[in-house]
Amino acid sequence: MDALVTVSGLHKSYGDLEVLKGIDFEVARGEVVAIIGPSGSGKTTMLRCINLLEQPTGGRIVVDGRVVCEQADDGSMRFAEKGEVREIREEIGMVFQRFNLFPHMTALANITEAPRAVKGMSKSDARDLAVELLDSVGLANKADAYPLQLSGGQQQRVAIARALAMKPALMLFDEVTSAVDPELAGEILLVMKRLAQQGMTMLVVTHEMSFAADVADRVLFIDHGVIVEQGPARDLLTDPQNPRTRAFLHAVLDRAPMTEDDDSITASGEDAGFGSTDLFSEQAAVEPESGPDDG
Amino acid sequence: MDWDIVWESVPLIWKGAGATVTMFAWALVIGTVGAFALSLMRLSAAKPLQWFAIGFGWLFRGIPLLILLFFAFFALPELGILLSPFLAAVLGFSLWTAAYQAEVIRSGIISVPPGQAEAAEALGMTRAHYMRRIVIPQGVRIMMPPYTGNAITLLKQTSLATLVTVPEMALLTQRIFSNNFQFIEPIFVLGVIYLGMTTVLLIISAGVEHAFRLKV
Repeated sequence: MDALVTVSGLHKSYGDLEVLKGIDFEVARGEVVAIIGPSGSGKTTMLRCINLLEQPTGGRIVVDGRVVCEQADDGSMRFAEKGEVREIREEIGMVFQRFNLFPHMTALANITEAPRAVKGMSKSDARDLAVELLDSVGLANKADAYPLQLSGGQQQRVAIARALAMKPALMLFDEVTSAVDPELAGEILLVMKRLAQQGMTMLVVTHEMSFAADVADRVLFIDHGVIVEQGPARDLLTDPQNPRTRAFLHAVLDRAPMTEDDDSITASGEDAGFGSTDLFSEQAAVEPESGPDDG
Repeated sequence: MDWDIVWESVPLIWKGAGATVTMFAWALVIGTVGAFALSLMRLSAAKPLQWFAIGFGWLFRGIPLLILLFFAFFALPELGILLSPFLAAVLGFSLWTAAYQAEVIRSGIISVPPGQAEAAEALGMTRAHYMRRIVIPQGVRIMMPPYTGNAITLLKQTSLATLVTVPEMALLTQRIFSNNFQFIEPIFVLGVIYLGMTTVLLIISAGVEHAFRLKV
């Protein structure tokens, strides 16, 4: 398997509190992996370790051949150097629960800032890219709007466009629909679904089980800092083997495991007019190697 | 009040306006640069820097500005450092400004939600870029009212430079007292000039605040 992300023996503690207790998994190029689990299970912390927003206290993470962190024989942690961390982060786009847009900049400027500052892209190139990206997330007419003038769903789509502007190899999504009104979640999920179809490698921490079923290749169920169960999305969500997985799914779905016809992400009416530009077609062409990870 | 005396006093006092404004401007610029450095020290992870910044604020906010001026003008020469009245005053005012504005700038910096720092980090931006492009433009809006308040206080307090013999407006006003035994008119003129200057500061501040407002 051509692994883009390899995580092995990942530990994270805050003082005496051990949040991650040894996590191992790989993500193949082009694969979409959903991470589910109860709140406080460590799934967000795990995601944040991958781009070092949290510093792991044990284990090894490799992204696209670059060592993000690893543990020396004496147990001490070695992290990539400052400059290298920035380079690794260029490869990894992240979308947050609370959008974290820069409120003093227009939607367009939010998107152009990092390509210009970090990649040295010219003003006009960055602008063209931002316009294309806004179109691809259905917000072509919102380029000059400020974040506070946008709905939560729109802000989150700008945040996705902002992350994509760095042309990342990997996208991390941290409960990106949790802070928006339920009726606006669909428009965000639709953007993510299209991105997945275009071949983007995605790690998605989510409570949206139907999204996981519909879009993810594989699902990891995390509880108490360990991966309790993992497998192809359909199998895990419809026929969980572990009793903890079963209990969790029962609780969130408010019934027994999903049925086969349970899925379909739909956009809410207003912004259904997504642009037709397929920015990631080159990646899509390279890579339909997604599939369950059995080993 | 005799309006003829008022009009005679205006040019005599106005001669000191240059000294007042230059002392104010230098102290504001030097003090603000110092305040920014102090606020970064205060927010840094390094304990010695934190303690330095805290100690600086404690010292220079805790003793009267007049004593700072006396120290700079009368005591430093005994230590071999001879400053002109103007430089001694600017030194004292700068220390005062740095100590007070440091807290204002720090509150502006921490007013920016930490999620934006994470977003900037995740995008690969450097700390310096994040400060310059994300934090400061937003912080300015929060900082402006208390910053202006301190700047107005500074402008008025430049009148203390009288006591270290800087020929600024208040000193020239006192000369009229002793030369002409006129009081009410020069005091009136001095007050009106200060009021005019502080009004200008308020207008500039409101303009800056408006320019950095968040569009909703």
